[in-house]
Amino acid sequence: MKADVVVIGGGVIGLSTAYYLAKSGVEKIIVAEKKYLGSGASGRCAGGIREQFSSKPSIRLAKKSLDMYERLSDELNFNILFRQGGYLFLAFDEESMEELERDVKLQNSLNVDSVLLEPEEVKEIVPELNIDGLLGGSFNMRDGIAFPFPVVWGFARKCRKMGVEIRDFSEVSDILVRDGTVRGVKLGNEIIGADFVVNAAGGWSSQVYHMAGLEPYNKPVKHEILATEPMKPFLEPMVIDLTAGLYFNQSMRGEIIGGIGIPESPSYQMGSSLEFLEAFASRVTKLMPKLKGVKVLRQWAGLYDMTPDSLPILGETEIEGFIQANGFSGHGFMLAPIVGKLIAKLIATGESDPLLEPFKYDRFKEMDVEPEHMVVG
Amino acid sequence: MVRLERHPILEFKKGKRVTIYFDGRPVEAYEGETVAAALYASGLRIFSRSFRFHRPRGFFCAIGKCSSCMMEVDGIPNVRTCKVYVRDGMQIRSQNSFPNVNTDFYEIFDRLDSLFPHGFHYKKFIKPSFMRPFFVNSLRKFTGLGNFPKEELGEEAYKKEIECDIAIIGAGPAGLSAAIYAGELGADICLIDENPRVGGQLIKQTHRFFGSAEHGAGTRGIKIAEQLEEEIKRYENVNLMLRTGVFGIYNGVVGAVRDNTLLKIKPKKIIIATGAYERTLIFENNDLPGVYGAGGVQTLMNVYGVRPGDTGLVVGSGNVGLILTYQLLQAGVNVAAIIEAMPVIGGYFVHAAKVRRLGVPIYTRHTIKRAYGSKTVEGAQIIALDDKWQEIPGSGRDIECDFICISVGLSPTHELLYQAGCEMKFVPNLGGFVPVRDKYMETTKKGIYVAGDVAGIEEASTAMIEGRISGLDSAIKLGYGDEKAKEMREKMVMELEDMRSGPFGIRILEGLKHVVV
Repeated sequence: MKADVVVIGGGVIGLSTAYYLAKSGVEKIIVAEKKYLGSGASGRCAGGIREQFSSKPSIRLAKKSLDMYERLSDELNFNILFRQGGYLFLAFDEESMEELERDVKLQNSLNVDSVLLEPEEVKEIVPELNIDGLLGGSFNMRDGIAFPFPVVWGFARKCRKMGVEIRDFSEVSDILVRDGTVRGVKLGNEIIGADFVVNAAGGWSSQVYHMAGLEPYNKPVKHEILATEPMKPFLEPMVIDLTAGLYFNQSMRGEIIGGIGIPESPSYQMGSSLEFLEAFASRVTKLMPKLKGVKVLRQWAGLYDMTPDSLPILGETEIEGFIQANGFSGHGFMLAPIVGKLIAKLIATGESDPLLEPFKYDRFKEMDVEPEHMVVG
Repeated sequence: MVRLERHPILEFKKGKRVTIYFDGRPVEAYEGETVAAALYASGLRIFSRSFRFHRPRGFFCAIGKCSSCMMEVDGIPNVRTCKVYVRDGMQIRSQNSFPNVNTDFYEIFDRLDSLFPHGFHYKKFIKPSFMRPFFVNSLRKFTGLGNFPKEELGEEAYKKEIECDIAIIGAGPAGLSAAIYAGELGADICLIDENPRVGGQLIKQTHRFFGSAEHGAGTRGIKIAEQLEEEIKRYENVNLMLRTGVFGIYNGVVGAVRDNTLLKIKPKKIIIATGAYERTLIFENNDLPGVYGAGGVQTLMNVYGVRPGDTGLVVGSGNVGLILTYQLLQAGVNVAAIIEAMPVIGGYFVHAAKVRRLGVPIYTRHTIKRAYGSKTVEGAQIIALDDKWQEIPGSGRDIECDFICISVGLSPTHELLYQAGCEMKFVPNLGGFVPVRDKYMETTKKGIYVAGDVAGIEEASTAMIEGRISGLDSAIKLGYGDEKAKEMREKMVMELEDMRSGPFGIRILEGLKHVVV
């Protein structure tokens, strides 16, 4: 069997890539997913979408992605329940405040309308917040939240309508490379020839690099998350406590969904921990004391596909036809539409968009990379 | 009279009279009873509204395993009122309804259900694009149950770490037996239960048990609970932790909450004895207030002394259905009929004979087709079934009743086992998903044991034996006890086999083949 493109990973990145490939006229596309669609980080994330980043390349890419998210329900003819309640960053220490000041300046220079806020202004946006010790915050009204599942399903639905072959519960076990060029993949017991193989395997992408004989820079790191009982809407923005590395929002179902960063060493382990539950609960109830009366319903975990500079790896590698769309370091969901579109353009036309340039795989060979700081959770 | 004044077996000692407020209206209540029981006694039947179609929901399970009775209590949303005890001045509010739970304007959604099929929120309201934010925000208003808390919980929160040899989760017949037998060997035990008293579901069993005297036969369930309670108090090495809810097992650490304290219990062995919950049945209007779990009715009546209604229909003729019928009659409540889908009565003959003698018809090969009523049960339609379990045309007939008790079996409360990572199997003969374990009740997750209904639905008597086995084995493996303890363990394994050797044990033995390794 022969395909034009095999996309490894049935998450939001892989499906978005497959969709834009089909849209640009590529005929034979196969998406291989080892479990069910969205079983990795796509179905485990909080659904946040923002343009408030700390580095130019991230901001540029995120801004385009947000533009696309605003129209994605039309594009997919599927309501992804995108709601622009803004992202509210909070700084409780000097270092975080300086970061916000620096970032807002940079964001403004790139036409992102984020603003710095005094503590009282923060309280106006979310009256339930406890602003004791708060130095200030930043806010961008355009940022928002989508419900991750309809984004995955919406892309998948469109893909299928356009003839993309989606194979779930099918694991790629090898990538065939000859003379520095990708020839295909081994999918189950089947060899599938392909001109292009896209590594969109998220937390498992380092395994895919190995299959092609490339050294991965990515590492899977567990991040935990939880959901409370659903309540009537009372919280508009995604709230991020930069000092504590905590985030929370109120989902379309009314649940508080949130997480807090806990140091973890790289592994594929995705178990839930009591430490996380304690850390999140004690910090979030300081931030919003009335949450003490709200019960946690479930907790789970997913993998951040971390790179050394916390920026994604996008585009070509030294193996011809082996295309990367991974290493999102916790930001894959929010970047999915633009990444899918640009990767599809790269494959369909051979033209690498300037937006992709800073994210090349070989950037790590030069040791001079500027990391993205705004990684939360 | 909704509150039972006289009962042939039970004596209801009312606690101090207090006043609670439901939607601002004062309600008479007595200390020691749950909010749900007090509200039921006051005549309230609609406790909540369903999330989407705002259908009325009432009291159902009475033991915190369903969500039908959730209300706002003192400003805290989604409180299971069947698990909260009354306190003078308590403010209870109904949720998810406008203007109130009895007359809910949003009931209209139930009539317009065809406009809102499953998944409509993804497929409708997409165009015109400029209206979408408005649609999304409007949809959002209908999500969520209950409101964000109005007040901050006053008390400080604390954390506490506790080390012990064996943590036993659930102080019903299985958990108590495990604690007594492991306690006897000298193990240091935490016996944890979310309720304010031990005994699990025994505390509502007013009937005498069957079997041999050794297994409590001839003794009423309530009495067995009292005996076990007496016995457990004799062991200083058993730390009885009541009103303590376990929410998870994390790498062998048991996470629990008592009042405002997070407990991190670090045991060497864990015994999960969390019991079971009641199944429901699919029929039209099966969610109407007045359709109750049989066990829920027992709790209401036998623990809190509240009459469930005037005339009941009992669905299911297993021992629970038969015994409940007898208990209803004892409490002066009529039972219109017992219906049973199987061709034969499920429970013991003597129970069936007893209720028949008292004039309650038992219709085998019959099932319930629908409940009548708009806000609460006003009657039921039952139908006869043919050999292929299909409705016999024209067999439908109406039964006059104001409540319906569903006693069609139980399912294991297995959530903790899953969360802890035990290997599970679906075994219909044992009631659903049950853990794979060895003959000493240890699961595939080393150091985690099971006992009682959570290991497979049986009787309180087998639950007690399983508790003893798990208690003995976990203590022995920790180095407690001598040869005699091991002999006792083997004896209990034999006894369990004996108990299952009768005709009622065949299904169980068949089921156990799939999970005992």
